[in-house]
Amino acid sequence: MGERGTRFLPEGMERPASRIDDVPEEKVIRSLLDTFPSTVTDFKKLGKGVVRARIERRDLYRCCKFLKDQLGFEHLSMISAVEYDKRFEIVYHISCYGSCLLLELITSTPKDDPSVDSVTSIWGGANWQERESYDLMGIKFNNHPKLERILLPKDTLYHPLRKDFKGGG
Amino acid sequence: MGNVIAFRSKDFIKWADGVLEGVLRRSPVGSGVDYLTKDFFNWATRNSIYPLHFGIMCCALEMAVASAPRFDAQRFGVIYRSTPRQCDVLLVNGPVSKKLKPALRRLYDQMPGPKWVIAMGECAISGGPFYNSYSVVPGVDQFIPVDIYIPGCPARPEALIDGFIKLQKMIKENKKGLLTGK
Amino acid sequence: MWNNMGPQHPMTHGLWNLRIKVDGETIVDAEPEVGYLHRGIEKLCENRTYTQIIPIADRLCYGSSLTWSHLYCMTVEDLMGLEVPPRAEYIRVASIEMQRIASHLMWLAAYAADLGAMIGFIYTMRDREVFIDLLQALTGSRITYNFPRIGGVAHDIPPNFERDSLRACDYMEKKLKEYEDLFDGSKVFMMRNQGVGVFRKEDAMNLGVTGPPLRASGVKYDLRKDMPYSVYPEMDFEPATHPDCDCYARYRVRMDEMYESCKIIRQAVRKMPKGKWRAVAPRNAPAGTGLGRVEDPRGEGMMYVVGDGTDRPYRLKIRSPIFVTVSAAKKMLVGYKVADVVAIMGGLDMCIGEADR
Repeated sequence: MGERGTRFLPEGMERPASRIDDVPEEKVIRSLLDTFPSTVTDFKKLGKGVVRARIERRDLYRCCKFLKDQLGFEHLSMISAVEYDKRFEIVYHISCYGSCLLLELITSTPKDDPSVDSVTSIWGGANWQERESYDLMGIKFNNHPKLERILLPKDTLYHPLRKDFKGGG
Repeated sequence: MGNVIAFRSKDFIKWADGVLEGVLRRSPVGSGVDYLTKDFFNWATRNSIYPLHFGIMCCALEMAVASAPRFDAQRFGVIYRSTPRQCDVLLVNGPVSKKLKPALRRLYDQMPGPKWVIAMGECAISGGPFYNSYSVVPGVDQFIPVDIYIPGCPARPEALIDGFIKLQKMIKENKKGLLTGK
Repeated sequence: MWNNMGPQHPMTHGLWNLRIKVDGETIVDAEPEVGYLHRGIEKLCENRTYTQIIPIADRLCYGSSLTWSHLYCMTVEDLMGLEVPPRAEYIRVASIEMQRIASHLMWLAAYAADLGAMIGFIYTMRDREVFIDLLQALTGSRITYNFPRIGGVAHDIPPNFERDSLRACDYMEKKLKEYEDLFDGSKVFMMRNQGVGVFRKEDAMNLGVTGPPLRASGVKYDLRKDMPYSVYPEMDFEPATHPDCDCYARYRVRMDEMYESCKIIRQAVRKMPKGKWRAVAPRNAPAGTGLGRVEDPRGEGMMYVVGDGTDRPYRLKIRSPIFVTVSAAKKMLVGYKVADVVAIMGGLDMCIGEADR
């Protein structure tokens, strides 16, 4: 297997360890716990460099800014929205170019007020992904530059991925 | 003094149309010209079918491969054109979503006659694997009249060329004169 | 004044609309619109069993359909905690790399045809048939294969597969050198590509772009090396990068990737162990979540599945690389001429089926 070679490392990030399930995961968990003691809970190492954490939605924007600026999580991969019985969960998959770590950050909102803060100003790639969650699931993102429908025609009245929408599939 | 001799352009068109109606289309002159030229124009039409550059989904890859060196649809006279004004055939090769339906209808209306429609692949015939989705129209013949159906998911390039040959046979059987339309 | 390019346009592979605002010939603003191919796949998957979704996952991106069905199977195997036998992993890697070469050749054919070099279309389509024939012998179909299964692959490799794959790799490396002479030696091709559509490294990282456009901006990020899956840790290859951030760099990265894929195919077919090619998967998946990530020819593909103990998924979320790359189109287009739109957007290798799902 070839050496990892030169790779772009964000400022202030240490050289990555040679095994994936080594130091970097613990460092991330400790920094998050130190900075957001009351709102970040439920850490779980899912193996193969994936860590899951839950956060309350009032601290989501600050936490994402901390992740990008201090810990070097430059790449937002995916924003998913899942509807459960009594809540919506919005799952952010954020990864770090330098240390091959993937953080799964989950926040929940109550069923009657599905809205969270938009992270478009932190990662520009969140723009269309948040529009898609709004279009298909009806989650509102506060302070989004242009929250409009993207996949369905603009005059559609329903949000098809909700469990109470029976048409289709 | 008014204009006694000169026509306005709209009136001129109406007058010219009336002359053509009388002299060419209804009289024996028109039928005679048609009798002499019908076979020739029909032969030219069926050997130069120009589909539209319109690729929706997976069957579009097979449509592209059909004009590639191995399957070579160009030997049957099939050349793809980019604008609907120059095309004979609308080849629908994928599922039609509700957002696409008005655009597709507009493309069909922009094509000048005589024109034909080929539905290629299961998605265009009946919705395919997505038949009960909330955003797919189950079959393109819900809003456009279809002449040839090519089944397959995806339809192989040989099936597409077979479809073109069937279309050529269909054009040969329905010979119509250019002037009288009979 | 806003102009519409699309949804029907010979350059747009797949249907999407590009609204551009021009000042004379120069582009001042651009806004892509997608959604014309939306089929509601995520909702459809909630009413199909896990095995019935495999052919639907194929039809997400039809240019590289093996990658998506493998990604789906990897995600469900992560949910179920299933171990895949080693022979199946090697068969998967060999077929994915062949699919990568076929997808890049399809891109090159369309790109050359758009830029006016029809000879590029003819040659690359002819050579793509070599790999499509190999994949047809392996799986039975030309483009949407329905080959992976949860727990492995559908059936074993046909006889003489190793000999034919090695021959195909040798043939491909000779042909790639011919293509380099053809395209790099063409002054018009170089002028249309060099210096056009510059996409800086900072923008690429911020906007979430992955795959060849990111590697052509100088960032060496390839999921097969950085977060390896399947048997990629045992393969010896180098991700291709290029320091210029223009259209020529993206073309160069894809050509280099084809060389590396030939190397990987050779290693995979030679090292293939004997044994079973499929593990038995349970019908019902446990409650929980599963995550899968692959390096698609177009970028980083990801799937997130939530199971609830039954034989149908509760929620399946698909991350498409092209959805994010198209949203970054504005940064690449502003300041260039209308005639450069074809080169810039063609260089992104768009397969809109996966963007719209």
